[in-house]
Amino acid sequence: MKKHILIVDDEASILELLGAYLTNAGYRVTAVSTAYKAEEVAAKDKPDLVISDLQLENSDGLELIARLKSGLPDTPMILLTGVLFDAKFVHENLAKKVSCYIEKTSPLSRILGEVQRLLAS
Amino acid sequence: MRRVLAFFAVVIAVSVAIAIVSVRNINRAVAGSDWVNHTHSVILETEGLRADLFIGDGAAHAFVLTGEPKDRSASVNALSNAAEHVDYIAALTRNEPAQKDGVTRLASLVDRRSDFIRRLLSSRQSNDSNAVHALLVQDSGETVLNDIQHSIEKLKNDELTLLTQRDTAAFIQAQTTRWTVWAGVILDFTLLAGAGLLIRDDIAARKRATDALQTLNYELEDKVKVRTAELAAANDQLKIENIERKWANLGLQHQLHYNQLMINSINDLVLLLTRAANITRVNAAVTRSTGWEPHELADRPFSSFATLTYDGPAPLIDPVTQAMNDGREIRDQHAVVIDKRGQKVAARMTLFPLRDGDKVVGSVIIIQAPGNGTPGGAAVATQT
Repeated sequence: MKKHILIVDDEASILELLGAYLTNAGYRVTAVSTAYKAEEVAAKDKPDLVISDLQLENSDGLELIARLKSGLPDTPMILLTGVLFDAKFVHENLAKKVSCYIEKTSPLSRILGEVQRLLAS
Repeated sequence: MRRVLAFFAVVIAVSVAIAIVSVRNINRAVAGSDWVNHTHSVILETEGLRADLFIGDGAAHAFVLTGEPKDRSASVNALSNAAEHVDYIAALTRNEPAQKDGVTRLASLVDRRSDFIRRLLSSRQSNDSNAVHALLVQDSGETVLNDIQHSIEKLKNDELTLLTQRDTAAFIQAQTTRWTVWAGVILDFTLLAGAGLLIRDDIAARKRATDALQTLNYELEDKVKVRTAELAAANDQLKIENIERKWANLGLQHQLHYNQLMINSINDLVLLLTRAANITRVNAAVTRSTGWEPHELADRPFSSFATLTYDGPAPLIDPVTQAMNDGREIRDQHAVVIDKRGQKVAARMTLFPLRDGDKVVGSVIIIQAPGNGTPGGAAVATQT
């Protein structure tokens, strides 16, 4: 049974590339562009892992992750963003909210490595 | 294949030859058999002639003694039969020149004897005792019967000799036919066996070739499978690398976009200068506040765009260049900006050295101009 990964990003190119890469790695991927659709998918088809962009249309990734966590408390959540935070900020503010923080400039292999690590644990 | 066909051609030729020789020999055998039957017929007829002649002769003498009509009748019938035998013998030997003279002589003798018997029967029938007596006396000195006997024996011996010769010829013919057929059959079987061996070798060679071809096909299929798998793996790898490359580009574009977004969202004039104090980049506020397009300012000396102002005499060395040389900031200094219409606008300027490691490679200039219609002013940055 393939693991189900939900990707949320308002950029179609991000959804396309990341979705293709993770699908090729053997995962079942659902890609959506809004927080509303993400919650809808999570309710119908529980994901094993969520990857969300920080900046979303009419919302943001941290807010979405907080809402999703109420229904999926054990599901790993990865925050993916183009906004660069320093390590101290990440450690103090994001560590409790998300399972992992990854910059969009990170190579896909690193994202895949994090996905595999979180799903394995 | 040609050798096999040649073998079969020889087998067919031999079979045809055997058939021709056999038919010819059978025809000869049939002819020989006819001659044997013919010879037997001649012999039987001569024996029949001898018997009927003696029966006729005996019955005639009996009639002379008894005068019984049945004896006369038996004699007449026997003579009639003897005449028929003579006719048969003449007909059967008409194509045998060697027998012709003998048969003619025999017929003459039989006619003489038949004529004598008829005269004897006639004389006894008329009770002419003298005539009967004279005929019997005359007959005692005759040697006709002995001559007839000799002629019949000679004819019979001649026919038996012919029969022996024809039997010998028929036997030799049969032997020849037998040996011909057996030799042909043995030759045919030998040729067929040879053809069988050739066919077996040919089939074995074809099977070996087929097996080799099959093996090659399997090997080729395996190689194709391996190569296809390698190509598929390479294709997958290329696809992944392509996605990763696109992703990397996207990340850079994303970062650039956000950086540009941040710079352009600042209402102060921001300029980037090289180490030689030439303008390389400006934010959108520069165009909005001064009317200068970015390409019009690119590579121009910063001093042609803005200068610091002093209450006293201006320093001999350009303070912007000096600040970069010293690696120090200039904060909130009075300055004058020259817009595209040539008007000078009072502003406040701050300079931050642009450091790359331990080197100053340029500077970032931020200019706040109260007169530019915005709450802020202008900002500029420098770079080598």
